[in-house]
Amino acid sequence: MSKDLASALFWLAIAVFVSFEGFTKLKLGTLRQPGPGFFPFWGGLLLGACALILLLRSLKSREWLGSGAIPWPALILVLGALLGYLLFLETLGFVIVTFLFLLALFCFAEIGWIKHVAWSVIATSLVYALFKFWLKVQLPSGLFGI
Amino acid sequence: MEIVQGIVIGFQVAFQPINLLYCFLGVFIGTLVGVLPGLGPAAAIALLLPSTFALSPVASIIMLAGIYYGAMYGGSTTSILVNIPGEAASVVTCLDGHAMARQGRAGPALGIAAFGSFIAGTFSIVALTLLAPLLVKVTLSFGPPEYFALMVLGTTLVTYFTQGSMVKAIIMALVGVLLGSVGVDSISGRYRFTFGIQTLMDGVGLVPVIMGLFGISEVLLNLERLASQHAVYAAPTGGLLPNREDWRRSAIPIVRGSLLGFFLGILPGAGAIIASLAAYATEKRFSKHPEQFGQGAIEGVAGPEAANNAAAGGAFIPLLTLGIPANPVMAILLGALMIHGLQPGPLLMQRAPDLFWGTIASMYIGNAMLLVLNLPLIGIWTRLLRVPYALLFPFILLFCLIGSYSVSNNVGDGIVMWVFGVVGYLLRKFDYEAAPLILAMVIGPMMEEALRQSLILSAGNFAIFVERPISAGFILAAALLFVLPLFTRRSDVAKV
Repeated sequence: MSKDLASALFWLAIAVFVSFEGFTKLKLGTLRQPGPGFFPFWGGLLLGACALILLLRSLKSREWLGSGAIPWPALILVLGALLGYLLFLETLGFVIVTFLFLLALFCFAEIGWIKHVAWSVIATSLVYALFKFWLKVQLPSGLFGI
Repeated sequence: MEIVQGIVIGFQVAFQPINLLYCFLGVFIGTLVGVLPGLGPAAAIALLLPSTFALSPVASIIMLAGIYYGAMYGGSTTSILVNIPGEAASVVTCLDGHAMARQGRAGPALGIAAFGSFIAGTFSIVALTLLAPLLVKVTLSFGPPEYFALMVLGTTLVTYFTQGSMVKAIIMALVGVLLGSVGVDSISGRYRFTFGIQTLMDGVGLVPVIMGLFGISEVLLNLERLASQHAVYAAPTGGLLPNREDWRRSAIPIVRGSLLGFFLGILPGAGAIIASLAAYATEKRFSKHPEQFGQGAIEGVAGPEAANNAAAGGAFIPLLTLGIPANPVMAILLGALMIHGLQPGPLLMQRAPDLFWGTIASMYIGNAMLLVLNLPLIGIWTRLLRVPYALLFPFILLFCLIGSYSVSNNVGDGIVMWVFGVVGYLLRKFDYEAAPLILAMVIGPMMEEALRQSLILSAGNFAIFVERPISAGFILAAALLFVLPLFTRRSDVAKV
């Protein structure tokens, strides 16, 4: 399957869903008094039309899915760290998750474990000071009250 | 006379110590963002937005605007010295700027980029000062049909100016419009596409979406070249000042770049990137020695660098006079204004003259600061480039996380950012551009409201859009843009 075909099919699915929702649940209203579904319905139809054009064009495309190397381990680590940060931010508190987050991501720097840990500690303190005391952003304190 | 009065008010506001400080901070951070590859002004402004909540509206807009035009200055430094564009609008500067650096002429290249940026930046602010109040007078008479037609034209321009496939750009715009419809419907009060998720009730947040699409996904893409991050760069040797010959060759390109950049900057979707590409193509066409381009022709630095700065000024026109953002950065500024309780649009100049004129006046000051900041501090900026990306990107991500959370102390916004980080990564992998999506997401709800109000006004008759002359003109122009590509080859600028 070519890249364009895959994305065209995806948009087509979205278009069908949105138009259907707009038509059935949200209601179109009348032209004199357009309802909440009016805009999504027509937007969805237009999206569907464009997706179909893309689909037809994609039949000539030779750019296949899965071409090009993707750095899976790095990608998964980074996305995992981001998600972990968000999920534990309010339970563990800003300081702890930030430290763990930096500890995980400094792996890419390959700087030796002493520097690695030291950097994480220093960076966490600096960022904490910057946001807490200078910019006065409210940071969640969570566990241990920090 | 009104303009003189306005400018006087503006400078009074901009010269207040606190506003001067934030203007300086803005252009300083902007230069930094411009210098660092992998962090563009859109993401930077989005992630700094929450930190401005405690400031006055004027100070925060002055600072955020400073980041934007500051980034245009900084981008050239990285392009010239390292051959990596620090920022998308400086891509073409790599071609001749880096060639000059390899010939030991990094100094004059950096110098002409800074002076060209200053001249063009100042030109475009003068033009903004003169044009904005005039446009406000015109746009005050716009009703819903005119607004709707104008927004249709704007969205069409966005898709027209995109560099990839136009169908894909239109798809992006439609997806953006649909994303904009998530949340409470402003007319009927009904929830749309919220799936019972609390965070989506107020709609998909603009700030987390921009951070995801422009911040997170950029980092994810850069992970691919993490190993090959050792940049080779040419240190500036000798003086930074261009000589008389350099000036003679650059003068006209700077003038052309300023004009071109300013007018392209006004158009939605065109912006600084297209302006710099167009300026490069123009200089090559007008040059008596086009074969020198790519070999270190100073015109190829002066023109595009002038153009991208002029475009940054021009982009403020639709925001300040119509309340319509011309690019993703302006979309965040629009968000920032609304967070501070100000409705951008033709009434802004009357209702908040201190903000309107203060921002404009601060841009004169900021441009002067940038000239001073850039040249003597070049050494600091280049040292910064030696920080390995592996140490840098965790901070970019961390700032995005804190930024998205602190918009409304809601982890849900962070999740939205995460999702759009993945979406942005996939879009790039599947050759889509994110800018039309962002613009349409902001314009979408305004467009829907204008459309529905127009139809209520005309009792369901679509003729209202063509019966009124201004609106008919916009619709006609939009239609022409759709038809034109069928007959001509679109955007020669894309293939410099």
